[in-house]
Amino acid sequence: MLRVNYKPSTSHWLFPPMIMWILAIMLVIMAIERAVKCKKSGKPFFNLKGYRFFIENWDKVKLVGTIVLMVLYFPSMNLIGFLPASIIFIFLFNVLFVGVSQLASIAVAFKTKKFWSNPDFRSLVISLIISVVSSTIIWFLFGQVFKITLP
Amino acid sequence: MDALAFGLPQLFMALSGVVIGIVFGALPGMTATMAIAIFLPLTYAYDMNMSLYLLLGLYVGGISGGLIPAILINIPGTPSSICTGFDGYPMAKRGEGLRALRVGITASLFGGLISLACLWFFTPPLAKVAINFSAIEKFLIILFALTIIAALSKGAMTKGIFAGFLGVLVSLIGQFNDNNKLRMVPKLFRVDLRMGFQLLPVLIGLFALVQIFQEAESGMVEEHQRMDLDHETMGFNFRRDFKGQWFNVLRSGIIGTFVGVLPGVGGSAASLLSYSQAKSMSKHPEKFGTGLVDGLIASEGSNNGLTGGALIPLLSLGIPGDSTTAVLIGAFMLQGIQVGPLFITNNPQIWQTILMALLVSNILMFIVMFYPIKHVVKIINFPKTRIYPVIILLCTVGAYATQNGNMFDVWAMFAFGLFGFVLAKFGISIPSFLIGFILGGDLEQYFVDSIKGSGGSLSVFFARPIGNVIWVLILISLGYAFWDEWRSSRKVKRGDR
Repeated sequence: MLRVNYKPSTSHWLFPPMIMWILAIMLVIMAIERAVKCKKSGKPFFNLKGYRFFIENWDKVKLVGTIVLMVLYFPSMNLIGFLPASIIFIFLFNVLFVGVSQLASIAVAFKTKKFWSNPDFRSLVISLIISVVSSTIIWFLFGQVFKITLP
Repeated sequence: MDALAFGLPQLFMALSGVVIGIVFGALPGMTATMAIAIFLPLTYAYDMNMSLYLLLGLYVGGISGGLIPAILINIPGTPSSICTGFDGYPMAKRGEGLRALRVGITASLFGGLISLACLWFFTPPLAKVAINFSAIEKFLIILFALTIIAALSKGAMTKGIFAGFLGVLVSLIGQFNDNNKLRMVPKLFRVDLRMGFQLLPVLIGLFALVQIFQEAESGMVEEHQRMDLDHETMGFNFRRDFKGQWFNVLRSGIIGTFVGVLPGVGGSAASLLSYSQAKSMSKHPEKFGTGLVDGLIASEGSNNGLTGGALIPLLSLGIPGDSTTAVLIGAFMLQGIQVGPLFITNNPQIWQTILMALLVSNILMFIVMFYPIKHVVKIINFPKTRIYPVIILLCTVGAYATQNGNMFDVWAMFAFGLFGFVLAKFGISIPSFLIGFILGGDLEQYFVDSIKGSGGSLSVFFARPIGNVIWVLILISLGYAFWDEWRSSRKVKRGDR
């Protein structure tokens, strides 16, 4: 008869190993499935040459930029406070997602003295407005009205 | 019995939820699950009553909003409206866009109401049966839920099971309540991970950040579409459009509800199953896909049927029916309410609130979408590039608020966002992982409780009649999973030839 050794002092390690075993078995099954599939189709099991983790023509600037900005944004809230950090980073996220090339319009706009009529510069201003308005509303609504703890 | 609290504040909350939900549903890539995950922290500020109006409004609005891009630009706003565009888009192309939208909205209302009736009718008796469950049956029911995930992970059974058990393993990190000892916690995180990973950061990471990473990877391309809704060739007429459709409406609502009951099955399955049923039972199946009202009603009736259906196992057994209701568990947890067999008995007022909130949300969804639809459709041209930064902000606030201000939860959210991104790359189901994560703690507790009572004998799991019935169900679902996997691989082979 199947039994398990139950002791209250070690009961916290009773269940996790079972799940680990199930996961290990599932990994083996998945490997066998893949091996059978590869054998039938004549492809190698490890096909690193044609392997692609990211989608074709993935946007390196946006994906890496998003991760980097997040990594910088979280600690910055503790350093300079929720509202200033959010305004800065939400603006940067806007610029990143719309297109960093619009940053070049700053110099052009000041040079030509055409600000609002320059679409890229206008986009930057919109980014700034969105970041200020959204951060302030969320700070006010969550932090002041609903009394939710903010970073 | 306590009086049901319903007034203007509740109506306002439901309306806010429905409107925001419609926006999330209408924007491809954003989902009802994401909306609920982001707005969950607001439940700290309100009681359960008010929170439910907001969250269920988001749920109904999020599911319903998906029909707008599906019909107008042939891109489903949510997976659950995958078949809506099959007939909705051809209708829009021939100048019947408004008619298609209104047919879809009306079918959504009926689907939602049918599932609400099922929820009201089936949940209490199911909970009454479940009250008699011991730890053994509860353990087996959760195991059954995990095998259903596998059975319905089309063509990816092993990955489905793997994802579910991986979620279980991650949920075990931290302290075990029976002996207060830690396991699987690195020394560095002994304080932060004492209670394990919190649900809210995990689900915000998995359902919001993963989406943002995937969109960033693909370059966040905006697809602005011009929609000509001013030159309609045929308008909506309820009598004409729904004549002879009542069986279709009823069947679709019931299919949606049934699919909603099954854990881990996405809304796309409801839409596909209902559409294929409508097609196979139709007198003119060849006309499906050419702009037939029948197909549109089948898809939209079923996906709104999900809303009530997914709540049935949640409220009677404590098992979420889909990823959105898995997120709703978070709302109950935040309020300290245990969902499961005793939920209705212990919380009759909340149970009535759920029914009322679903009813109100469905009616509001209809009013908000049906009449001003010409203006509502403009939502799909909202630039995602401007919305995602605000969503990042909301995610951060939500994760931080989980334990009343803990930066570790924000990093956990970020880590699970990256983890979910990698899981998706390997085709491992994120909803299955989440359901495993949510149910893992209970699975362990019921297992240990069963073992304690039997002195360590595993035969206890085969000693009770109800338990044996659940074992049979587990075997059937696994058998079906293997059969379905075998059938899928044969189909692929035939396709290759």
